[in-house]
Amino acid sequence: MNKPLPEPVSLMPTPLRMEYTFVAGVGRSRFLRGLSERRLLAGTCPSCRHVYLPAPEFCARCLVELDEPIELDGRGVVSTFCVVSFPFPGQEIEPPYVVAYIQPHGADTRLMHLIREVDIAEVHIGMEVEPVWREGDDLEPSWMSIRHYRPVATEEVRHA
Amino acid sequence: MSEPVAVIGIGQGKQAKRRETTIGAMVREAVAAAMADAELELGEVDAIVLSKTPDLFDGVMNPELYLADALGARGLPVTRVFTGGSVGGHAAIYGAHLIEAGLARRVLVAAYSKESEGNFTWALSRGLPFSAKLGAGAGGHFAPVIREYIRRSGAPEHIGWQVAVNHRLNALRNPYAHVHMPDITVEKVKESRMLWDPIRYLESCPSSDGAAAIVLAAASQAGNTARPPAWIHGMSFRTETGHFAGRDEVNPLAGAECAADAYRQAGIVDPAREIDVAELYIPYSWYEPMWLENIGLAPLHQGWKLVDDGTTRFGGSLPINPSGGVLSGNPTGATGLVRFLEAALQVRGMAGEHQVPGARRAIGHAMGGASQFHALWVVGDERPAT
Amino acid sequence: MREIAVVGSAQSACLAANRRDDMAGILLPVIREALSGIPLDRDRVDFVCSGSHDFHEGRTFAYIDSLDAVGAWPPIAESHVEMDAAWAFYEAWSWLQLGHGDIALVYGIGRGSLPRDLDQVVPTQLDPYYLTPLRPHRDAIAGIQACALLQSGVTTEHEMARIVARSLADAQANPHAQVAGEYEVDELLAAPYVAAPLRGHDVSPVGDAASVVVLAAGDVARSLCERPAWVRGIDHRMDGHYPGSRDLTRAPSANLAAARATATAGFAASEVDIAELHIEYSAQEPLLVRELGLGAATAINPSGGPLAGRPTTAAGLIRIAEAAKGIRSGGARRALAHATNGQALQQNLVCLLEGDPA
Repeated sequence: MNKPLPEPVSLMPTPLRMEYTFVAGVGRSRFLRGLSERRLLAGTCPSCRHVYLPAPEFCARCLVELDEPIELDGRGVVSTFCVVSFPFPGQEIEPPYVVAYIQPHGADTRLMHLIREVDIAEVHIGMEVEPVWREGDDLEPSWMSIRHYRPVATEEVRHA
Repeated sequence: MSEPVAVIGIGQGKQAKRRETTIGAMVREAVAAAMADAELELGEVDAIVLSKTPDLFDGVMNPELYLADALGARGLPVTRVFTGGSVGGHAAIYGAHLIEAGLARRVLVAAYSKESEGNFTWALSRGLPFSAKLGAGAGGHFAPVIREYIRRSGAPEHIGWQVAVNHRLNALRNPYAHVHMPDITVEKVKESRMLWDPIRYLESCPSSDGAAAIVLAAASQAGNTARPPAWIHGMSFRTETGHFAGRDEVNPLAGAECAADAYRQAGIVDPAREIDVAELYIPYSWYEPMWLENIGLAPLHQGWKLVDDGTTRFGGSLPINPSGGVLSGNPTGATGLVRFLEAALQVRGMAGEHQVPGARRAIGHAMGGASQFHALWVVGDERPAT
Repeated sequence: MREIAVVGSAQSACLAANRRDDMAGILLPVIREALSGIPLDRDRVDFVCSGSHDFHEGRTFAYIDSLDAVGAWPPIAESHVEMDAAWAFYEAWSWLQLGHGDIALVYGIGRGSLPRDLDQVVPTQLDPYYLTPLRPHRDAIAGIQACALLQSGVTTEHEMARIVARSLADAQANPHAQVAGEYEVDELLAAPYVAAPLRGHDVSPVGDAASVVVLAAGDVARSLCERPAWVRGIDHRMDGHYPGSRDLTRAPSANLAAARATATAGFAASEVDIAELHIEYSAQEPLLVRELGLGAATAINPSGGPLAGRPTTAAGLIRIAEAAKGIRSGGARRALAHATNGQALQQNLVCLLEGDPA
């Protein structure tokens, strides 16, 4: 009659495992293949003349297909940045480290990447940076073919 | 034009890590409170709109199906809106549109997030081969934008700390807020751990579970309850493409146009003077001056001065986030709706300890994605002229 | 009620798996085709609304990518439902009722091929505490429903096979169909079960496609389209969730939605020339015919229906597009489109369309 109540269930794990196939699409695939050959392929919108890096298949503003890809050397300036200063699960780099928006020369879009080989306190908006590529065997069709960006030599000289 | 629309019921639950409650129970609590406030029985509405952030966050696909009973939705039209973090605002506006269009007389808008039951980090850091694995995290996107704002405006660094203090002090007046820090000071914010430089720990929003609900009604249904309604004077949503050359994320055009559209409907020409209080979607403290400028409450590059001179504090002439805001509680799927309903509470005079005296016109604002999605409404204590 | 009509539509071919295009890449040509077919300049679109689901894409905010194909610059008024895009159609229709604009574009994009195993994904659509942990097979609840429909005499395995044979034969005329062909009923009945009493062909094949529908109001619709497909009534309704507590031989929310749509349309489902039904399983067709009150003279799923291809979260919108096409082409005077969300027809939408008298 007056049986004690059961212990409440407070936790009920339901682990889910899901696997997906991601499709990069035509424009992205071209760009990612370029990365595996140490080439940064940009695309120009024939309508608004903006240069996209990475180049999608079409301009999201004008909705027309981009022209044949052009190759950029990847150098650019730091447009803005943050310093990731704390550890979190799954982190692969030991903090602190700099994640920056980089404005590549010759492109109208910004890309996001790591800035390394420099004292964090030296990183500033407007700093000239260049990509540091992986070795030949490590190249892959992904952003990770660029290890990180670093200041270009002249910049290092100025701060010496 | 159609008859005006009012908020006649509001309900919300404690924002916290709430693993002792099921998703359904948490949603039901807010819905029941909103229906009781509107003096209606469960299900006494013509339509339901559900607001929710990505399903991957808490691992339930199409939760509106499972929640049919918790919402009192059997036999009713249910729509599940989703536009990133702005979704709560979008949902409220869609609900109001259904009434304006004459398709419903009363609409329940419900919102929730139960992130403690899912794996938030997993959902946000799916290994996509198209993007670099930079380990930037959520704030890694917003921090560079903030740095850019500081550069453009020349704002001193203590502005971010002051916003964090203002909002956390406000939260002490709101029993539903997740974060209560009575001993918060500018020094403490300044000394708190740097996460994504320039964002410090105490300048960031928490991750919360929580639910909220409102009942909207056509004017003909709005005069029947003991408590006063909040009238919608203007509302708008705008979206801009995320990836295109030349996009300005510090001062997104979609946000400015969204606000201008709502002000035009409300007949507001000088928002900074005509608005008494605003609940803005500020997940990191620096977004207060940025949004003040973006939605026309401060001149360009001057928003930080309203923080500096105390205008946006609780006792100031334009208090921002008297509820404590997103910095004090962030159930992402509900966060936008909470901003909208807090604005309504203010003009109803029902905001309790965080009531801004004499508030007659208020803004609720929500933002989503990489500042691509914007929603805003202006509510007032007076029925708008038709 | 403002007069609103479907004035144009387009769809990409339904593929078992599109491994070439990303979300925006699938969508852009379909939007172009829909607009150029009217023809209509993109700048004249006042509102955009879409439907898709992150669980099919395997990432959060997946629909953001699709906006790259929409042209959200300068900023636009736009909304999204995380459901079948038929509900986006309803939102766009209700937005046009406000009178703030005259033209809306709706799109649905579904990529059911991205999850490697739908058995991992589909159970998450259920009560996370009581049902998801049971991990039912993706077609298990539909199998239970089909079994109940057989036992109650709503349908027979023979009728299910006839439905499949008719659908796949009709699909031969549909250039977007994923599967099509001539099949004998006996041949179909000889196939093995996948979730008894469902055989492989009783389950609509999941795939990838995008669908775009353009809506316009009143005289704008008349100026854009020789024979607009007027939305005379549209409604959607929700049932309870638990399959165990529902009578699976009924779909009360479909019945209610049809009754509500009929009330504003001024004509009933029994009076339509064609009906496009979002049946994910063949056994659901006889059930919906009963619940909606369709008559013997109505052609059901002349496009082949979802049994010829089910791009997730676009399948319902495609029903509306196909029903409207029947009217716009002059082939039908009145048409019904149906869409569903969830397991065993938990949530249903009914749209009644009509063309002007010839």
